[in-house]
Amino acid sequence: MIKAKAIFGNFKRYWFLMTQLISRDFKKKYKRSVLGILWSLLNPILTMTVMAIVFSQMFRFKVEGINYLVYLMTGLIMFNYFSQASNMAMTSVVENFTLINKVYIPKYIFPIAKCLFIGIDFLLTLIPWIGIIVLSHFGLGEYTCHFNWYYLLLPYIFFCMFLFTLGIGFFLSCISVFLRDIWHIYGIVLTLWNYLTPVFYSIEILPAKLQYLMHYNPMYQFLTAARSIVLYGQRPSFTTLGILGLIGVGTLAIGAFVFKKKQDKFIYYV
Amino acid sequence: MIRIENVSMKFNLGIEKNFSMKQAFIDLFKKKNKKNEEFWALKNVSFNVDKGEVVGLIGSNGAGKSTLLKIVSGVMKPTSGKVVVNGVISPMIELGAGFDPELNARENIYLNGAILGYSKKLIDEKFDEIVDFSELRDFLEVPVKNFSSGMTAKLAFSIATIVDPEILIVDEILSVGDIKFQEKSKKKMMEMIKGGTTVLYVSHSLESIESLCTKVVWLEHGKVVKVGDTKKICEAYYNEQMK
Repeated sequence: MIKAKAIFGNFKRYWFLMTQLISRDFKKKYKRSVLGILWSLLNPILTMTVMAIVFSQMFRFKVEGINYLVYLMTGLIMFNYFSQASNMAMTSVVENFTLINKVYIPKYIFPIAKCLFIGIDFLLTLIPWIGIIVLSHFGLGEYTCHFNWYYLLLPYIFFCMFLFTLGIGFFLSCISVFLRDIWHIYGIVLTLWNYLTPVFYSIEILPAKLQYLMHYNPMYQFLTAARSIVLYGQRPSFTTLGILGLIGVGTLAIGAFVFKKKQDKFIYYV
Repeated sequence: MIRIENVSMKFNLGIEKNFSMKQAFIDLFKKKNKKNEEFWALKNVSFNVDKGEVVGLIGSNGAGKSTLLKIVSGVMKPTSGKVVVNGVISPMIELGAGFDPELNARENIYLNGAILGYSKKLIDEKFDEIVDFSELRDFLEVPVKNFSSGMTAKLAFSIATIVDPEILIVDEILSVGDIKFQEKSKKKMMEMIKGGTTVLYVSHSLESIESLCTKVVWLEHGKVVKVGDTKKICEAYYNEQMK
Protein backbone atom coordinates (compact mmCIF):
# COMPACT_ATOMS: atom_id res chain seq x y z
CA MET A 1 0.00 0.00 0.00
CA ILE A 2 2.75 2.40 0.96
CA LYS A 3 4.64 1.30 -2.09
CA ALA A 4 1.68 1.98 -4.35
CA LYS A 5 1.37 5.41 -2.78
CA ALA A 6 5.04 6.11 -3.42
CA ILE A 7 4.70 5.07 -7.05
CA PHE A 8 1.72 7.37 -7.59
CA GLY A 9 3.44 10.21 -5.77
CA ASN A 10 6.42 9.81 -8.04
CA PHE A 11 4.15 9.69 -11.04
CA LYS A 12 2.49 12.94 -10.09
CA ARG A 13 5.84 14.59 -9.59
CA TYR A 14 7.04 13.60 -13.03
CA TRP A 15 3.75 14.13 -14.83
CA PHE A 16 4.82 17.61 -15.92
CA LEU A 17 8.01 16.19 -17.41
CA MET A 18 5.91 13.60 -19.23
CA THR A 19 3.71 16.28 -20.79
CA GLN A 20 6.83 18.21 -21.79
CA LEU A 21 8.33 15.15 -23.49
CA ILE A 22 5.09 14.49 -25.35
CA SER A 23 4.69 18.09 -26.46
CA ARG A 24 8.31 18.09 -27.61
CA ASP A 25 7.54 15.11 -29.84
CA PHE A 26 4.56 16.93 -31.29
CA LYS A 27 6.46 20.15 -31.90
CA LYS A 28 9.26 18.31 -33.64
CA LYS A 29 6.95 16.18 -35.71
CA TYR A 30 5.13 19.16 -37.21
CA LYS A 31 7.94 21.67 -37.33
CA ARG A 32 8.10 23.62 -40.56
CA SER A 33 5.01 22.00 -41.99
CA VAL A 34 2.32 24.32 -43.26
CA LEU A 35 -0.61 22.20 -42.15
CA GLY A 36 0.95 21.28 -38.82
CA ILE A 37 -1.18 19.20 -36.51
CA LEU A 38 -3.79 18.86 -39.25
CA TRP A 39 -1.53 16.16 -40.65
CA SER A 40 -2.44 13.95 -37.71
CA LEU A 41 -5.95 13.95 -39.15
CA LEU A 42 -5.11 14.18 -42.81
CA ASN A 43 -2.52 11.43 -42.78
CA PRO A 44 -4.86 8.65 -41.63
CA ILE A 45 -7.57 9.85 -44.03
CA LEU A 46 -5.20 9.68 -46.99
CA THR A 47 -3.70 6.36 -45.89
CA MET A 48 -7.18 4.95 -45.49
CA THR A 49 -8.11 6.10 -48.96
CA VAL A 50 -5.07 4.45 -50.46
CA MET A 51 -5.58 1.21 -48.55
CA ALA A 52 -9.27 1.21 -49.39
CA ILE A 53 -8.53 1.55 -53.08
CA VAL A 54 -5.79 -1.07 -53.01
CA PHE A 55 -7.69 -3.72 -51.11
CA SER A 56 -11.24 -3.22 -52.26
CA GLN A 57 -10.63 -2.24 -55.89
CA MET A 58 -7.34 -3.89 -56.90
CA PHE A 59 -7.17 -7.04 -54.81
CA ARG A 60 -10.94 -7.25 -54.36
CA PHE A 61 -10.87 -8.41 -50.79
CA LYS A 62 -14.26 -8.96 -49.27
CA VAL A 63 -15.73 -10.19 -46.05
CA GLU A 64 -19.24 -11.51 -46.52
CA GLY A 65 -22.08 -9.63 -44.96
CA ILE A 66 -20.22 -6.62 -43.58
CA ASN A 67 -18.78 -3.32 -44.74
CA TYR A 68 -15.26 -4.19 -45.84
CA LEU A 69 -13.96 -0.63 -45.65
CA VAL A 70 -14.87 -0.34 -41.98
CA TYR A 71 -13.48 -3.83 -41.38
CA LEU A 72 -10.16 -2.85 -42.93
CA MET A 73 -9.88 0.53 -41.20
CA THR A 74 -10.66 -0.83 -37.75
CA GLY A 75 -7.87 -3.35 -38.12
CA LEU A 76 -5.53 -0.83 -39.65
CA ILE A 77 -5.73 1.94 -37.06
CA MET A 78 -5.50 -0.49 -34.16
CA PHE A 79 -2.59 -2.45 -35.51
CA ASN A 80 -0.82 0.74 -36.57
CA TYR A 81 -1.09 2.07 -33.06
CA PHE A 82 0.43 -1.08 -31.67
CA SER A 83 3.29 -1.29 -34.14
CA GLN A 84 4.23 2.41 -34.02
CA ALA A 85 3.96 2.79 -30.26
CA SER A 86 5.84 -0.40 -29.40
CA ASN A 87 8.53 0.46 -31.93
CA MET A 88 9.06 3.98 -30.60
CA ALA A 89 8.92 2.84 -26.99
CA MET A 90 11.60 0.27 -27.82
CA THR A 91 14.12 2.92 -28.90
CA SER A 92 13.06 5.55 -26.35
CA VAL A 93 15.38 4.58 -23.50
CA VAL A 94 18.49 4.28 -25.65
CA GLU A 95 17.72 7.58 -27.38
CA ASN A 96 17.67 9.34 -24.03
CA PHE A 97 20.91 7.84 -22.76
CA THR A 98 22.65 11.24 -22.56
CA LEU A 99 19.90 12.44 -20.25
CA ILE A 100 19.88 9.31 -18.11
CA ASN A 101 23.60 9.68 -17.62
CA LYS A 102 23.33 13.24 -16.37
CA VAL A 103 20.24 13.72 -14.24
CA TYR A 104 18.08 11.42 -12.23
CA ILE A 105 14.85 10.75 -14.05
CA PRO A 106 12.74 7.63 -13.55
CA LYS A 107 13.48 5.71 -16.72
CA TYR A 108 10.01 4.26 -17.13
CA ILE A 109 8.89 7.73 -18.18
CA PHE A 110 10.31 7.40 -21.69
CA PRO A 111 8.35 4.32 -22.93
CA ILE A 112 5.16 5.68 -21.33
CA ALA A 113 5.62 9.07 -22.99
CA LYS A 114 6.01 7.44 -26.41
CA CYS A 115 2.97 5.19 -25.99
CA LEU A 116 0.89 8.22 -24.95
CA PHE A 117 2.25 10.34 -27.79
CA ILE A 118 1.20 7.78 -30.41
CA GLY A 119 -1.98 7.32 -28.38
CA ILE A 120 -2.98 10.93 -29.05
CA ASP A 121 -2.39 10.32 -32.73
CA PHE A 122 -4.56 7.22 -32.44
CA LEU A 123 -7.39 9.20 -30.87
CA LEU A 124 -7.22 11.64 -33.76
CA THR A 125 -7.50 8.80 -36.28
CA LEU A 126 -10.75 7.81 -34.58
CA ILE A 127 -12.36 10.93 -36.05
CA PRO A 128 -12.06 9.87 -39.71
CA TRP A 129 -12.82 6.31 -38.61
CA ILE A 130 -16.14 7.35 -37.12
CA GLY A 131 -16.57 9.42 -40.26
CA ILE A 132 -16.56 6.35 -42.50
CA ILE A 133 -18.91 4.51 -40.17
CA VAL A 134 -21.35 7.39 -40.54
CA LEU A 135 -20.78 7.47 -44.29
CA SER A 136 -21.63 3.78 -44.53
CA HIS A 137 -25.18 4.84 -43.73
CA PHE A 138 -25.18 7.00 -46.80
CA GLY A 139 -24.12 4.35 -49.25
CA LEU A 140 -20.38 4.00 -48.76
CA GLY A 141 -19.81 0.31 -49.40
CA GLU A 142 -22.46 -2.36 -49.67
CA TYR A 143 -23.37 -2.76 -46.06
CA THR A 144 -24.12 -0.28 -43.32
CA CYS A 145 -22.77 -0.32 -39.79
CA HIS A 146 -25.01 0.22 -36.83
CA PHE A 147 -24.39 2.47 -33.91
CA ASN A 148 -25.32 0.89 -30.62
CA TRP A 149 -24.71 1.17 -26.90
CA TYR A 150 -21.90 -1.37 -27.07
CA TYR A 151 -19.72 1.37 -28.55
CA LEU A 152 -19.21 2.45 -24.96
CA LEU A 153 -17.09 -0.68 -24.53
CA LEU A 154 -14.61 0.51 -27.16
CA PRO A 155 -12.60 2.75 -24.78
CA TYR A 156 -12.13 -0.26 -22.53
CA ILE A 157 -10.87 -2.37 -25.44
CA PHE A 158 -8.52 0.40 -26.60
CA PHE A 159 -7.25 0.88 -23.06
CA CYS A 160 -6.45 -2.83 -22.75
CA MET A 161 -4.58 -2.59 -26.04
CA PHE A 162 -2.68 0.42 -24.67
CA LEU A 163 -1.64 -1.55 -21.59
CA PHE A 164 -0.57 -4.46 -23.76
CA THR A 165 1.48 -2.16 -26.01
CA LEU A 166 3.08 -0.47 -23.03
CA GLY A 167 4.05 -3.84 -21.57
CA ILE A 168 5.70 -4.88 -24.82
CA GLY A 169 7.36 -1.43 -24.98
CA PHE A 170 8.83 -1.80 -21.50
CA PHE A 171 10.15 -5.22 -22.30
CA LEU A 172 11.70 -4.24 -25.64
CA SER A 173 13.20 -0.97 -24.43
CA CYS A 174 14.88 -2.85 -21.61
CA ILE A 175 16.31 -5.55 -23.87
CA SER A 176 17.53 -3.04 -26.43
CA VAL A 177 19.82 -1.45 -23.83
CA PHE A 178 21.81 -4.68 -23.64
CA LEU A 179 21.25 -6.07 -27.11
CA ARG A 180 20.82 -3.51 -29.85
CA ASP A 181 20.15 -6.29 -32.38
CA ILE A 182 16.57 -6.36 -31.11
CA TRP A 183 15.83 -3.23 -33.17
CA HIS A 184 16.41 -5.15 -36.37
CA ILE A 185 14.81 -8.32 -35.13
CA TYR A 186 11.65 -6.58 -33.96
CA GLY A 187 11.24 -4.87 -37.33
CA ILE A 188 10.98 -8.30 -38.94
CA VAL A 189 8.76 -9.62 -36.15
CA LEU A 190 6.37 -6.70 -36.67
CA THR A 191 6.09 -7.39 -40.39
CA LEU A 192 5.36 -11.02 -39.70
CA TRP A 193 2.93 -10.12 -36.94
CA ASN A 194 1.15 -7.75 -39.29
CA TYR A 195 0.51 -10.51 -41.81
CA LEU A 196 -0.43 -13.02 -39.13
CA THR A 197 -3.10 -10.68 -37.84
CA PRO A 198 -6.28 -10.44 -39.91
CA VAL A 199 -5.98 -6.73 -40.63
CA PHE A 200 -7.11 -6.81 -44.25
CA TYR A 201 -8.27 -10.40 -44.67
CA SER A 202 -10.83 -12.49 -42.90
CA ILE A 203 -9.75 -15.33 -40.64
CA GLU A 204 -12.03 -17.66 -42.62
CA ILE A 205 -9.64 -17.82 -45.56
CA LEU A 206 -7.03 -19.50 -43.36
CA PRO A 207 -6.64 -23.27 -42.88
CA ALA A 208 -8.48 -24.58 -39.80
CA LYS A 209 -5.29 -25.18 -37.86
CA LEU A 210 -4.11 -21.60 -38.28
CA GLN A 211 -7.56 -20.31 -37.36
CA TYR A 212 -7.25 -22.12 -34.07
CA LEU A 213 -3.75 -20.77 -33.43
CA MET A 214 -4.97 -17.27 -34.20
CA HIS A 215 -6.76 -17.16 -30.86
CA TYR A 216 -3.38 -16.94 -29.18
CA ASN A 217 -2.59 -13.73 -31.02
CA PRO A 218 -3.46 -10.87 -28.63
CA MET A 219 -3.84 -8.40 -31.49
CA TYR A 220 -6.42 -10.70 -33.10
CA GLN A 221 -8.38 -10.64 -29.85
CA PHE A 222 -8.35 -6.84 -29.67
CA LEU A 223 -9.30 -6.44 -33.32
CA THR A 224 -12.08 -9.00 -33.17
CA ALA A 225 -13.63 -7.48 -30.06
CA ALA A 226 -13.75 -4.02 -31.62
CA ARG A 227 -15.05 -5.38 -34.94
CA SER A 228 -17.83 -7.41 -33.40
CA ILE A 229 -19.19 -4.22 -31.86
CA VAL A 230 -18.80 -1.97 -34.88
CA LEU A 231 -19.62 -4.39 -37.68
CA TYR A 232 -21.95 -6.94 -36.16
CA GLY A 233 -23.50 -4.89 -33.40
CA GLN A 234 -22.68 -7.65 -30.96
CA ARG A 235 -21.30 -7.29 -27.48
CA PRO A 236 -18.15 -9.35 -26.96
CA SER A 237 -18.78 -11.98 -24.29
CA PHE A 238 -17.75 -11.17 -20.75
CA THR A 239 -15.16 -13.92 -21.00
CA THR A 240 -13.62 -12.16 -23.99
CA LEU A 241 -13.64 -8.82 -22.21
CA GLY A 242 -12.05 -10.45 -19.20
CA ILE A 243 -9.38 -12.04 -21.35
CA LEU A 244 -8.60 -8.68 -22.95
CA GLY A 245 -8.14 -7.11 -19.53
CA LEU A 246 -5.96 -10.00 -18.49
CA ILE A 247 -3.80 -9.71 -21.62
CA GLY A 248 -3.35 -5.96 -21.00
CA VAL A 249 -2.62 -6.07 -17.30
CA GLY A 250 -0.59 -9.28 -17.53
CA THR A 251 1.68 -8.06 -20.31
CA LEU A 252 2.19 -4.73 -18.56
CA ALA A 253 3.01 -6.50 -15.30
CA ILE A 254 5.61 -8.72 -16.96
CA GLY A 255 7.13 -5.86 -18.96
CA ALA A 256 7.25 -3.54 -15.96
CA PHE A 257 8.73 -6.27 -13.80
CA VAL A 258 11.58 -6.97 -16.24
CA PHE A 259 12.16 -3.25 -16.68
CA LYS A 260 12.27 -2.59 -12.95
CA LYS A 261 14.64 -5.52 -12.37
CA LYS A 262 17.11 -4.31 -14.95
CA GLN A 263 16.83 -0.51 -14.86
CA ASP A 264 19.69 0.07 -12.43
CA LYS A 265 22.04 -1.68 -14.85
CA PHE A 266 21.19 0.64 -17.75
CA ILE A 267 23.75 3.20 -16.67
CA TYR A 268 26.66 0.80 -17.34
CA TYR A 269 25.61 0.36 -20.95
CA VAL A 270 25.25 4.03 -21.78
CA MET B 1 21.06 15.69 5.24
CA ILE B 2 23.27 13.31 3.28
CA ARG B 3 24.49 10.10 4.84
CA ILE B 4 26.96 8.02 2.86
CA GLU B 5 27.55 4.61 4.36
CA ASN B 6 30.21 2.19 3.11
CA VAL B 7 29.56 3.07 -0.49
CA SER B 8 31.45 0.99 -3.06
CA MET B 9 31.14 1.24 -6.78
CA LYS B 10 32.42 -1.37 -9.19
CA PHE B 11 32.69 -0.85 -12.91
CA ASN B 12 32.99 -3.75 -15.24
CA LEU B 13 35.37 -2.55 -17.90
CA GLY B 14 34.51 -5.61 -19.97
CA ILE B 15 31.13 -4.11 -20.78
CA GLU B 16 32.80 -1.37 -22.74
CA LYS B 17 34.21 -3.94 -25.09
CA ASN B 18 31.61 -4.34 -27.76
CA PHE B 19 30.03 -7.68 -27.33
CA SER B 20 29.62 -9.24 -30.72
CA MET B 21 29.87 -12.56 -32.49
CA LYS B 22 33.38 -11.67 -33.53
CA GLN B 23 34.41 -10.85 -29.99
CA ALA B 24 32.80 -14.01 -28.64
CA PHE B 25 34.77 -16.02 -31.19
CA ILE B 26 38.04 -14.40 -30.20
CA ASP B 27 37.28 -14.92 -26.52
CA LEU B 28 36.93 -18.65 -27.14
CA PHE B 29 40.64 -18.88 -27.80
CA LYS B 30 41.85 -16.26 -25.41
CA LYS B 31 42.16 -16.81 -21.72
CA LYS B 32 40.36 -14.04 -20.00
CA ASN B 33 41.44 -12.55 -16.79
CA LYS B 34 38.17 -11.57 -15.18
CA LYS B 35 39.84 -9.80 -12.29
CA ASN B 36 41.47 -7.31 -14.61
CA GLU B 37 38.16 -6.19 -15.95
CA GLU B 38 36.91 -5.02 -12.59
CA PHE B 39 37.56 -1.53 -11.50
CA TRP B 40 36.55 -0.13 -8.14
CA ALA B 41 35.81 3.56 -8.56
CA LEU B 42 34.82 3.83 -4.91
CA LYS B 43 35.61 1.59 -1.98
CA ASN B 44 33.94 1.79 1.42
CA VAL B 45 33.38 5.51 1.38
CA SER B 46 31.52 6.84 4.39
CA PHE B 47 30.86 10.35 5.62
CA ASN B 48 27.99 12.62 6.55
CA VAL B 49 26.92 16.01 5.37
CA ASP B 50 24.84 17.86 7.95
CA LYS B 51 22.29 20.53 7.30
CA GLY B 52 23.89 23.82 6.34
CA GLU B 53 27.34 22.35 5.90
CA VAL B 54 29.43 23.09 2.85
CA VAL B 55 31.52 19.99 2.21
CA GLY B 56 34.38 20.07 -0.26
CA LEU B 57 35.58 17.02 -2.14
CA ILE B 58 39.19 17.03 -3.23
CA GLY B 59 41.46 14.48 -4.86
CA SER B 60 43.39 13.99 -8.07
CA ASN B 61 41.77 13.10 -11.39
CA GLY B 62 40.16 9.69 -11.31
CA ALA B 63 39.88 9.63 -7.54
CA GLY B 64 36.14 8.97 -7.77
CA LYS B 65 34.76 12.41 -7.04
CA SER B 66 32.41 12.60 -10.01
CA THR B 67 31.23 9.03 -9.48
CA LEU B 68 30.38 9.93 -5.91
CA LEU B 69 28.40 12.98 -7.05
CA LYS B 70 26.50 10.84 -9.53
CA ILE B 71 25.64 8.34 -6.82
CA VAL B 72 24.45 11.03 -4.44
CA SER B 73 22.32 12.65 -7.12
CA GLY B 74 20.74 9.28 -7.91
CA VAL B 75 22.02 8.80 -11.44
CA MET B 76 23.87 5.65 -10.39
CA LYS B 77 23.13 3.08 -7.76
CA PRO B 78 26.14 1.98 -5.67
CA THR B 79 27.30 -1.64 -5.97
CA SER B 80 27.13 -1.89 -2.21
CA GLY B 81 26.49 0.48 0.65
CA LYS B 82 23.81 3.05 1.15
CA VAL B 83 23.21 6.71 0.45
CA VAL B 84 20.45 8.42 2.38
CA VAL B 85 19.42 11.88 1.24
CA ASN B 86 16.85 13.98 3.08
CA GLY B 87 15.76 16.79 0.85
CA VAL B 88 15.49 17.79 -2.76
CA ILE B 89 18.77 17.77 -4.63
CA SER B 90 19.65 20.32 -7.20
CA PRO B 91 22.55 18.95 -9.23
CA MET B 92 24.66 21.53 -10.98
CA ILE B 93 26.82 18.93 -12.60
CA GLU B 94 25.88 19.06 -16.24
CA LEU B 95 24.16 22.17 -17.43
CA GLY B 96 21.68 22.08 -20.24
CA ALA B 97 21.00 18.36 -19.99
CA GLY B 98 18.18 17.60 -22.33
CA PHE B 99 18.19 20.78 -24.35
CA ASP B 100 16.56 19.96 -27.63
CA PRO B 101 18.33 21.83 -30.43
CA GLU B 102 15.20 21.87 -32.58
CA LEU B 103 13.09 23.67 -30.01
CA ASN B 104 13.31 27.38 -29.32
CA ALA B 105 14.60 28.96 -26.12
CA ARG B 106 11.14 29.38 -24.59
CA GLU B 107 10.25 25.72 -25.12
CA ASN B 108 13.63 24.61 -23.88
CA ILE B 109 13.22 26.53 -20.63
CA TYR B 110 10.12 24.46 -19.91
CA LEU B 111 11.63 21.18 -21.09
CA ASN B 112 14.90 21.60 -19.22
CA GLY B 113 13.07 22.86 -16.15
CA ALA B 114 10.87 19.77 -16.17
CA ILE B 115 13.94 17.57 -16.45
CA LEU B 116 15.44 19.30 -13.42
CA GLY B 117 12.24 18.49 -11.56
CA TYR B 118 10.65 21.95 -11.50
CA SER B 119 6.88 22.26 -11.51
CA LYS B 120 5.03 24.12 -14.22
CA LYS B 121 3.96 26.71 -11.66
CA LEU B 122 7.52 27.41 -10.62
CA ILE B 123 8.69 27.89 -14.20
CA ASP B 124 5.72 30.13 -14.99
CA GLU B 125 6.56 32.30 -12.00
CA LYS B 126 10.28 32.45 -12.62
CA PHE B 127 10.15 32.61 -16.38
CA ASP B 128 10.93 36.32 -16.63
CA GLU B 129 13.67 36.04 -14.05
CA ILE B 130 15.32 33.26 -16.07
CA VAL B 131 15.08 35.22 -19.31
CA ASP B 132 16.38 38.43 -17.77
CA PHE B 133 19.31 36.70 -16.10
CA SER B 134 20.28 34.94 -19.31
CA GLU B 135 20.13 38.24 -21.26
CA LEU B 136 18.46 36.38 -24.12
CA ARG B 137 15.05 38.04 -24.31
CA ASP B 138 15.49 38.92 -27.98
CA PHE B 139 16.21 35.30 -28.85
CA LEU B 140 13.29 33.57 -27.13
CA GLU B 141 11.76 32.30 -30.35
CA VAL B 142 15.04 31.17 -31.90
CA PRO B 143 15.81 27.42 -31.99
CA VAL B 144 18.65 26.57 -29.65
CA LYS B 145 20.59 24.92 -32.49
CA ASN B 146 21.23 28.43 -33.84
CA PHE B 147 22.65 29.64 -30.52
CA SER B 148 26.35 30.11 -29.99
CA SER B 149 27.86 27.86 -27.33
CA GLY B 150 28.10 30.85 -25.00
CA MET B 151 24.42 31.65 -25.39
CA THR B 152 23.44 28.04 -24.76
CA ALA B 153 25.57 27.97 -21.62
CA LYS B 154 24.04 31.22 -20.38
CA LEU B 155 20.54 29.89 -20.85
CA ALA B 156 21.38 26.60 -19.17
CA PHE B 157 22.99 28.35 -16.22
CA SER B 158 20.02 30.65 -15.75
CA ILE B 159 17.58 27.74 -15.65
CA ALA B 160 19.67 25.63 -13.28
CA THR B 161 20.24 28.38 -10.72
CA ILE B 162 16.70 29.70 -10.46
CA VAL B 163 15.73 27.57 -7.47
CA ASP B 164 16.63 27.79 -3.81
CA PRO B 165 17.75 24.22 -3.44
CA GLU B 166 17.75 22.23 -0.23
CA ILE B 167 20.88 20.40 -1.28
CA LEU B 168 23.20 21.74 -3.90
CA ILE B 169 25.72 19.59 -5.73
CA VAL B 170 28.39 21.53 -7.53
CA ASP B 171 31.13 20.23 -9.79
CA GLU B 172 33.46 23.23 -10.06
CA ILE B 173 32.13 26.75 -9.89
CA LEU B 174 30.79 27.36 -13.31
CA SER B 175 31.49 30.63 -14.92
CA VAL B 176 30.23 30.74 -18.46
CA GLY B 177 29.73 33.22 -21.24
CA ASP B 178 31.48 36.55 -21.77
CA ILE B 179 33.41 38.37 -19.04
CA LYS B 180 30.36 40.21 -17.79
CA PHE B 181 28.31 37.04 -17.53
CA GLN B 182 31.23 35.13 -16.00
CA GLU B 183 31.32 37.57 -13.13
CA LYS B 184 27.57 37.49 -12.79
CA SER B 185 27.36 33.70 -12.81
CA LYS B 186 30.22 33.36 -10.36
CA LYS B 187 28.53 35.77 -8.00
CA LYS B 188 25.24 33.91 -8.32
CA MET B 189 26.87 30.58 -7.46
CA MET B 190 28.67 32.05 -4.49
CA GLU B 191 25.35 33.39 -3.27
CA MET B 192 23.78 29.97 -3.61
CA ILE B 193 26.60 28.24 -1.78
CA LYS B 194 26.80 30.80 0.99
CA GLY B 195 23.04 31.10 1.32
CA GLY B 196 22.86 28.54 4.10
CA THR B 197 22.00 25.53 1.95
CA THR B 198 23.71 22.20 2.26
CA VAL B 199 26.39 21.90 -0.38
CA LEU B 200 28.55 19.14 -1.76
CA TYR B 201 31.27 20.85 -3.70
CA VAL B 202 33.96 19.42 -5.96
CA SER B 203 36.81 21.62 -7.07
CA HIS B 204 40.46 21.60 -7.98
CA SER B 205 40.84 25.14 -6.77
CA LEU B 206 42.07 24.81 -3.19
CA GLU B 207 41.65 28.53 -2.80
CA SER B 208 37.89 28.40 -3.32
CA ILE B 209 37.58 25.25 -1.22
CA GLU B 210 39.32 26.95 1.66
CA SER B 211 37.19 30.04 1.41
CA LEU B 212 33.85 28.24 1.11
CA CYS B 213 33.94 24.87 2.83
CA THR B 214 33.28 24.04 6.44
CA LYS B 215 34.58 20.50 6.01
CA VAL B 216 36.69 18.64 3.45
CA VAL B 217 36.74 15.05 2.28
CA TRP B 218 39.94 13.91 0.56
CA LEU B 219 39.46 11.04 -1.85
CA GLU B 220 42.22 9.04 -3.51
CA HIS B 221 41.80 5.91 -5.64
CA GLY B 222 38.22 5.58 -4.50
CA LYS B 223 39.04 5.64 -0.81
CA VAL B 224 38.67 8.34 1.78
CA VAL B 225 42.10 9.50 2.88
CA LYS B 226 40.98 12.07 5.40
CA VAL B 227 37.86 13.86 6.55
CA GLY B 228 37.77 16.95 8.66
CA ASP B 229 39.05 20.46 9.12
CA THR B 230 39.35 22.37 5.87
CA LYS B 231 42.66 24.08 6.45
CA LYS B 232 44.61 21.07 7.73
CA ILE B 233 43.46 18.73 5.00
CA CYS B 234 44.00 21.21 2.20
CA GLU B 235 47.51 21.73 3.41
CA ALA B 236 48.22 18.01 3.67
CA TYR B 237 46.71 17.46 0.24
CA TYR B 238 48.79 20.22 -1.32
CA ASN B 239 51.98 18.85 0.20
CA GLU B 240 51.17 15.34 -0.96
CA GLN B 241 50.48 16.49 -4.50
CA MET B 242 53.58 18.61 -4.80
CA LYS B 243 55.91 15.98 -3.39
